[in-house]
Amino acid sequence: MRIRVNDLTFSYDQKVILNHLSFSINSGDFLTITGKNGSGKSTLIKCLLKLQKVQHGMIFLDDVDINEIKKHHHIGYVPQKAEFNYEFPITVKEILMASYPQRAYDQFYKSIISSLNLNKFYHENINNLSGGQLQRIFIARALLTKPRLLILDEPTVGIDTENMHNLYQILKKLKEEKITIILITHDQDFAKDLYDYILHLDEYTNYTFTKMEEKHHD
Amino acid sequence: MINILLAHFFDFFKAIIDYPDIYIYPIIVGIIIGVLAPLIGSVIVIRRLSFIADTLSHFSLAGVCFGVLLAHVLTDTILADVISPIALGIIFSVIGTLLIEKLRGFYKNYKELSMPIVMSFGAALSGIFIALSGNGASNLTSSLLFGSLLAVELKDFIIILFMSLGIVLFIAIFYKKIITLCFDETFAKVSGINVKLLQLSITIILAIFISISMQIVGVLLISSLMIVPVAASILIGKSFKNTCLIAVVFSEVSVFLGIYLSFTLSVPTGSLIVIFNVIILIGIMIYKNCKKLLQKRKSTKVDMEYTLSIEKSDEEEIQEKIQNKNI
Repeated sequence: MRIRVNDLTFSYDQKVILNHLSFSINSGDFLTITGKNGSGKSTLIKCLLKLQKVQHGMIFLDDVDINEIKKHHHIGYVPQKAEFNYEFPITVKEILMASYPQRAYDQFYKSIISSLNLNKFYHENINNLSGGQLQRIFIARALLTKPRLLILDEPTVGIDTENMHNLYQILKKLKEEKITIILITHDQDFAKDLYDYILHLDEYTNYTFTKMEEKHHD
Repeated sequence: MINILLAHFFDFFKAIIDYPDIYIYPIIVGIIIGVLAPLIGSVIVIRRLSFIADTLSHFSLAGVCFGVLLAHVLTDTILADVISPIALGIIFSVIGTLLIEKLRGFYKNYKELSMPIVMSFGAALSGIFIALSGNGASNLTSSLLFGSLLAVELKDFIIILFMSLGIVLFIAIFYKKIITLCFDETFAKVSGINVKLLQLSITIILAIFISISMQIVGVLLISSLMIVPVAASILIGKSFKNTCLIAVVFSEVSVFLGIYLSFTLSVPTGSLIVIFNVIILIGIMIYKNCKKLLQKRKSTKVDMEYTLSIEKSDEEEIQEKIQNKNI
């Protein structure tokens, strides 16, 4: 999915969060967004997801104005801290089945489950799971929507090295499949060789948009 | 004692067989409501809207009273026969839903304020409508407050049957979307679900369910019928389906005991059903606490044995060292 952000300005009440932000990436590009807390990373993501209305400027997804898009399709989102209802009993299986549009589990479904190592606690109640395990469930849930754009908000927080490696492999494979990926992270070493662009936002609404050297393609 | 109980039971079944038109409809309606109430209740509990059922039932009551008032004002005209208080109850209930949604928009952090406002508004309106409509309303309203299952007639039975078919169909079609919306609204929005429309449909269904079952269980009790079985089942449920199923079982047990005892003791059915629901809830809480205590005791026992064995082995080690030294 191609993304073009044109002169985007966003403010909460009087405080300007994003100031004349412009950038664009192509299908299959990997964009990493860095910046301190409060620099507007989440706001930018919310605008892309249509969770916040674009106030000034424009966003185009595949050359279509985001305001013209009625329903989002093919966007997978892995939130930082899922606004999930944890107290009511529900199993991993039930969460994943509910977000999977198809009926029975097919090869694709099974491959997602096994690639994220969810088999061990597939029938468990989510109340019994650790933060890292939950994170993997949310990644699986996003991948099950067969996204053309995948947005991950701090996916490595609370995940051990083995699962971090698994996540890296998945992201690498998705990139090969020409899926556009936006990764918000503090851990700039994670998946560094996959980055095509880095967007750095600072707390004074300045930003830098850098294209990475193509050394890893050589 | 057992003999007396058996005799009562026998009487109860004999009555059902002897007077099917009196007992069959209430029993079937009781069973249907016993299934639907906790199913809808689960959604309400997850969405943290436990208060909405109470609010809507009060607002719906205002509609019913308004219907009675209209019928009173328009007596001797053709319109008086056309007006159905229950239909007005449904309309008011839906209006109440929209009012709650509107009011919620005014507050960022105090969204729950909308409930008591609409609830008291409904109660206030009911008071005025009852007073204005003379004696006719007081009979109806007293039965509406606590409900009466045995008053169910063929007409109500058919309405309830259609309503429940509609609700079951809705749940079956939108099951995945409802679960997604209930557990994670943000994800639902991102994955293309029309959250506002689905939310509104759920609340409208809730409004219709409340105003129809209100005459059977009563304004004051309908919300507990939806909430209490779920409150008990979430304490022991392992999955979403399992939790809903347990809630339905609890609700059905209460409905059956409620109907049976209301027949023997001539006490309002709705009240008895709710009381049995609460007894089950308390039972589950006690069971949960006992389980916790047992587990605690078990783990401390294991801990104690472990420390004792360590201390013992330490002691042995020291003695061995002493012996070695001596040698």
